[in-house]
Amino acid sequence: MKRTGFLYDDRFLLHKTGPYHPEVPERLTAVFQGIEEGGLLDKLVRIAASPADMKWIHAVHAADYIKRFEATCRANKQMFESPDNQMCADTYEVALLAVGGILETARRVMAGELDNAFCAVRPPGHHAETNQAMGFCYFNNIAVAARYLQQEWGLHRVGIVDFDVHHGNGTQHIFEEDAGVYYYSIHQHPTFAYPGTGREFEYGRGAGYGFTKNSPVLPGQGDEDWKRLIERDLFPAFEGFKPEFILVSAGFDAHRDDDMSDIQLSTECYSWIMQQLVGMANTYTGGRIISVLEGGYSLRRLPELARNHVEILLNG
Amino acid sequence: MFVSRSMTRKVITVNPETTIFEAQELMAANRIRHLPVVVADNTLVGIVTDRDLRSALPYRYFKEGISPAETESLKNLRVKDIMTQKVITIPPAYTIQDALMVIQNSRVGALPVVDDVGRLQGIISVRDLLRAFINVLGIGQPGTLLCILVEEKVGQLKRIVDAITEMGVSFGSVLVARYWDENKRAVFPYLLTQNVAQVKKKLQAMGYELLDPMQWYIDQLPEEERPPEKPKS
Repeated sequence: MKRTGFLYDDRFLLHKTGPYHPEVPERLTAVFQGIEEGGLLDKLVRIAASPADMKWIHAVHAADYIKRFEATCRANKQMFESPDNQMCADTYEVALLAVGGILETARRVMAGELDNAFCAVRPPGHHAETNQAMGFCYFNNIAVAARYLQQEWGLHRVGIVDFDVHHGNGTQHIFEEDAGVYYYSIHQHPTFAYPGTGREFEYGRGAGYGFTKNSPVLPGQGDEDWKRLIERDLFPAFEGFKPEFILVSAGFDAHRDDDMSDIQLSTECYSWIMQQLVGMANTYTGGRIISVLEGGYSLRRLPELARNHVEILLNG
Repeated sequence: MFVSRSMTRKVITVNPETTIFEAQELMAANRIRHLPVVVADNTLVGIVTDRDLRSALPYRYFKEGISPAETESLKNLRVKDIMTQKVITIPPAYTIQDALMVIQNSRVGALPVVDDVGRLQGIISVRDLLRAFINVLGIGQPGTLLCILVEEKVGQLKRIVDAITEMGVSFGSVLVARYWDENKRAVFPYLLTQNVAQVKKKLQAMGYELLDPMQWYIDQLPEEERPPEKPKS
């Protein structure tokens, strides 16, 4: 069995989004519950969150943006720059804790203390741009982690796989000119789904051209199409890139019971995806893979999805 | 939605006496395909296109080049000799829809925009129109597309717009399309939010049928081009 880290902190529940918002603390409770009831907690190495060193937030986000976010939060505003981004007085601190926890997890994996890990965090991150909060996201968790791996540990090839049903516009844009980070995303087709980016013809820019790959999936499609696209697009991409580390933006909102999308994935398909990613990690990265929670809003399905996800990491 | 807001104002022009070699170089240097031809006061007298130039110059000119003798024989050829004199133009007060219809009917790639005394004000190309329509559709901004099936009767769109507005959600655009059933319309609001599940629930509670936009698209296809039916969960 692998030494699998599990980042979870009750303080992640303090970020409140008000009524009529799907990104609620109960999501995380459901994730935790699934792992606990699956009898997996004892097998995992628990990691508690600590606030991120600001220098790593600055490695991704504009100084002015960080200031705006903090000031808006301290002023006890309920919204940050768009009605999608509902917040409370604790949101800024919680966002810092999430990033801090992920960086500590990455440190432990790089130091050889852990083989892999799952980070159950809120708020999510992949829509957050350098200078803009979007789609429930404030700090781009996965992007900060990738920058940390590059700058603190000198990694030259970080692979990011984003299987949230929405395209990770923030992550793509942050690394689109960086040949050291390969961003792969599979998501509902941008003509039909938020945020309207992640089209098949977006391949990165400048030196980063060819290090971005998107697989848009049409509404109504399910397991078969999703698997086919991962095999067709992701497999050869990583075979060529040979990542030294795999980061996963794990969104569970393409599930057929999740009302945030029109994609019809089964619970089994999510297990299949994670098995492929762990398999790729074993082939290319010596097993180093960290998965970070993004979306996923079906409180009924999140427990089983999280349990299976973690079990696959444990079995390596 | 007016042409004057979407057109290119700094137009690169030539005069009737410009040589075709100069015209060709101007096009290549600026990566454009249309050169309005003007005289004093910026009065439009013609237009020359890359196609006109290609017809006037030997094919080899664009590949390996032409001999000094050929250059000599062509150097006196002027824009006035090859330009189109009956130019299809539009006034600045035209809407971009007007421009779209004119382009569709005339099959040109760009329209000079002239004032009522014939002076060149700008030029609008297919490219400019595409940009304007991306803007109109709102697809440059993050959002989600819904498809709502409604009975064709007065006040439906208002109910939908009111219901969505009450939830504090902004619109990128709203398109209305004919549905296969002649008494129905498909309404496509493009909403500037990720949080659409609540909106969908509310609209369903109001009695509207929400369609998978893809299903709408597939149903528009001829029978033989439709993908096989898939079991829905």
